Amino acid sequence: MAKNISFYLNGEKIEIQVDEKDLLVDVIRNRIGLKGTKKGCTNGDCGVCTVLLDGEPIRSCITLACMIDGKEIMTIEGLGNAENVHPIQQAFVEEGAIQCGFCTPGMILTTKALLDKKAKPTTGEIKRALSGNFCRCAGYSKILKAVKTASRNLA
Amino acid sequence: MGVILEDLEQEVKAIHADQNDLNVVGKRIKRIEALAKALGTARYAADLKRDDMLIGKALFAKHPHALIKKIDTSRAEELEGVIAVMTAKDLPGRNGYGILIPDKPVIAEKKVKYQGDPVALVAAVNEEIAKKALDLIEVEYAVLPALDDPREAMKDDAVLIHENHPAADKGNILTEVSLTRGDVDKAFAEADIIIENLYETPMVDHSYLEPDVCIAEPDPITGGLLLIAPAQFVHATKRSLAPVFNLPPNKVRVLSPVVGAGYGGKEDSCLDVCSIAGVLALRTKKTVYFELTREEIFRNTGKRHATYIKHRLAATREGKVTAIDVETILDKGAYVSMGGLREPTHAVTQRTVMYAGGAYAIPNARAKSYSVFTNHPYSCAMRGFGAPQAYFAVESQMDELARKLEMDPIELRLKNIVRDGDRTIFGQVMKKSRGLGLEECIAKVKERMEWEKPLERTAGSRKRGRGFSTFLYGTGVPLPFEGASCYATFQTDGTVSIAVSSTEMGQGLLTAFTQIAAETLGVDFDNVVVNISDTDASPDAGPTVASRSTTVVGNAIINGCTQLKNRIMDFASRELKADSRDIDIKEGKVFIVGKPETAVPLGSMVAKAFVNQVPLSATGVWYPPRPTFSGEDGQGDPMHAYAFGAQGVEIEVDTETGEIDIVKFVLACDVGKAINPVNVEQQMEGGAAMGIGWSLMEEIDMSNGVMKNDSFKNYPIPSIKDVPEMDLIIVEHPNELGPFGAKGIGEPPTVPTAPAIRNALYDALGIKFNKIPFTPQRVIEEIKKYENKNS
Repeated sequence: MAKNISFYLNGEKIEIQVDEKDLLVDVIRNRIGLKGTKKGCTNGDCGVCTVLLDGEPIRSCITLACMIDGKEIMTIEGLGNAENVHPIQQAFVEEGAIQCGFCTPGMILTTKALLDKKAKPTTGEIKRALSGNFCRCAGYSKILKAVKTASRNLA
Repeated sequence: MGVILEDLEQEVKAIHADQNDLNVVGKRIKRIEALAKALGTARYAADLKRDDMLIGKALFAKHPHALIKKIDTSRAEELEGVIAVMTAKDLPGRNGYGILIPDKPVIAEKKVKYQGDPVALVAAVNEEIAKKALDLIEVEYAVLPALDDPREAMKDDAVLIHENHPAADKGNILTEVSLTRGDVDKAFAEADIIIENLYETPMVDHSYLEPDVCIAEPDPITGGLLLIAPAQFVHATKRSLAPVFNLPPNKVRVLSPVVGAGYGGKEDSCLDVCSIAGVLALRTKKTVYFELTREEIFRNTGKRHATYIKHRLAATREGKVTAIDVETILDKGAYVSMGGLREPTHAVTQRTVMYAGGAYAIPNARAKSYSVFTNHPYSCAMRGFGAPQAYFAVESQMDELARKLEMDPIELRLKNIVRDGDRTIFGQVMKKSRGLGLEECIAKVKERMEWEKPLERTAGSRKRGRGFSTFLYGTGVPLPFEGASCYATFQTDGTVSIAVSSTEMGQGLLTAFTQIAAETLGVDFDNVVVNISDTDASPDAGPTVASRSTTVVGNAIINGCTQLKNRIMDFASRELKADSRDIDIKEGKVFIVGKPETAVPLGSMVAKAFVNQVPLSATGVWYPPRPTFSGEDGQGDPMHAYAFGAQGVEIEVDTETGEIDIVKFVLACDVGKAINPVNVEQQMEGGAAMGIGWSLMEEIDMSNGVMKNDSFKNYPIPSIKDVPEMDLIIVEHPNELGPFGAKGIGEPPTVPTAPAIRNALYDALGIKFNKIPFTPQRVIEEIKKYENKNS
């Protein structure tokens, strides 16, 4: 059944008709055309589809689009761009925390949510926050370093 | 036999003396594509999906082993929005493909041999209709018993999986590769000590996070096809699939955007998705988008070969290994893939033979490997390509020998490792000139592990232990055609374009290739652009596998760039009125050596050369010395160079929960020359982490041909919590034939982890763990078994 929803995406108001079965990840990627949010398992297991809902990381591949009516969504495109690279994105690049890059947008957004809540997280807190985002290239030590660098640079 | 690190370091310094003036190579340069990946703007294949594409779906086998009695697609065809339904009879060309041999059907016709065999395909206007159409297809099967265990499948009375396989040796045995060296029986008869054990390693999944996908677009001008897919070998995809489409290869263009990793898997899985999308596109004359779900990726695509290894090792009481006798049975799954044939491509089967004796100079050896069909997913290339399995056995054996001799395990290894002039069990002479840094790796790991200090053992339920292992690992593929080609072009402003068919899948070759080209031509890093993975844009660079790209393809890039450089220097010598041998190009300037005042910007010299009929494009090529290997006696020089390494781990086992904590992890790898040390560290950490997953948590669970764990929920891969901090040591003993001395490093770090952890477990608990993975459950089971036996 179709439903009209409106929500803020990266600060911009979106009004769109979705089917009640539509997944948020598909609406973001296919209807709105923002491809930075990746789709890896459609089961909520791998974390590559992570977006922020009112600042909290969620799995857009198991979130129904109709549930986000009135909410605020941030995707990787909302964090920064080539002219205005966000310090977290910059830290991931500088610290060599990116290999195949498929997990990167989700990893960066999870980091953003963490650092918004806690500016100076401990190693244990970083690991706990990122443990739902797989990186099969497993550049975890450099990711850890990037989060710490970002935390320093944002302070 | 100790190693004095200072001596080694002086030797290495001397070797690198002539590399001090490198400007780009060896530097920690940021990855070219990293920013786009961080911003979410890098485009992967699935990101190129458009609304006007048809959606392809496949109906896969309901049973892993069954005869197809009847297929009725009429109800699916009648569904509105369905554009095409295809069964085997509708295919345009050969119903078979594969990197080595075309034995895997595009659509199964009479029989299904594993869960991943498609029986019908659908193209529809959207995904919902395509899925509905699949539900309307009726297939009648006659179910056959499914074979799970290759040891059973190889028996004479086993049900035959392939009735007439074009390459099978006998029954379900696809192939057998043998190695013989010296007099094994005599050595065993004279041995002081014999160590004999059975080892088992599981089938595991690559778990690349980017799903397999293909966009197939008919080319209205040539009548051919464009296939966009994450692929590790675009030219082979084209060659293997052209007959499927009934097209000549020059009408099939394969293009791979940046890949969300492959680890070996996307050498084959891209054929699976490209064949399906391609035939649907030809049938409908429309662009078709086809993507596998995560569950389909688990069930259908290639896996690491499960192995069953019987390893016997003979030694003197002084600790010299005199012989090995090894039998390995590999679970081939349903199709050949990269498993290997008798001749000429022995592939994974060959590596289990070749590495059966580890990094040791063992004079007598017999190794036999059988690759056996089962009703499992096809086993294929996966980071390490058979070596991790072989090393798990031999490095565990070495530990047992040390224990029996009451000798330090590192001391024992130093007594047996290959040194300059020694032969491996496959008969190749190891040469210092190709880089032989094993001893330095061992010494460095020993130092960082503080191996000399006795381990603090605790009395409580948490037990500590240490383990060690070593490896040697060949760079490249041992095939007669091994080599690479590329195009190198000067633009008229002096900027450079390199076109190469290799794939960027996270390993960082875009950056490494750019560094190599910039260094060779004496131009700025930023003035080189490398175009990748397009069969129409580049000649064949070979597969992006086997830790070969930096070395083999890197050399082809040097060759192409050197030709361009020589042409410009030759032209400049006429312009500057000097001998061409006195001209050089550096930092974007052409000049007479010793006369900086003659310097001319490279761009203006190239522009001038262009209008004076100097060609600005060259084909770069490189071939290593022709690889040799015989599947009959396992002797030859299969690879031109070898990476070496050593690993030490210290673990803490909780004997109540069975959990293993890795508290110290030291890995040293001799990479010849680190073109980009950041990339090398990434490969080392990632490869070792994959080894940790294989050792501690991953195992595909098959029962009667049905996969029980086909999602990340019940097949977890290592998270940031599971991978310990690693002490990574890059060792550089240059390879005289490698670009700036480089050897391959993509796969080697996966090799030593499992045996190092296993040996640490033995040290901690006094219990042999000869079966991977060491899950908490298995650790507890083994502890109980041990306690029952000893009570």
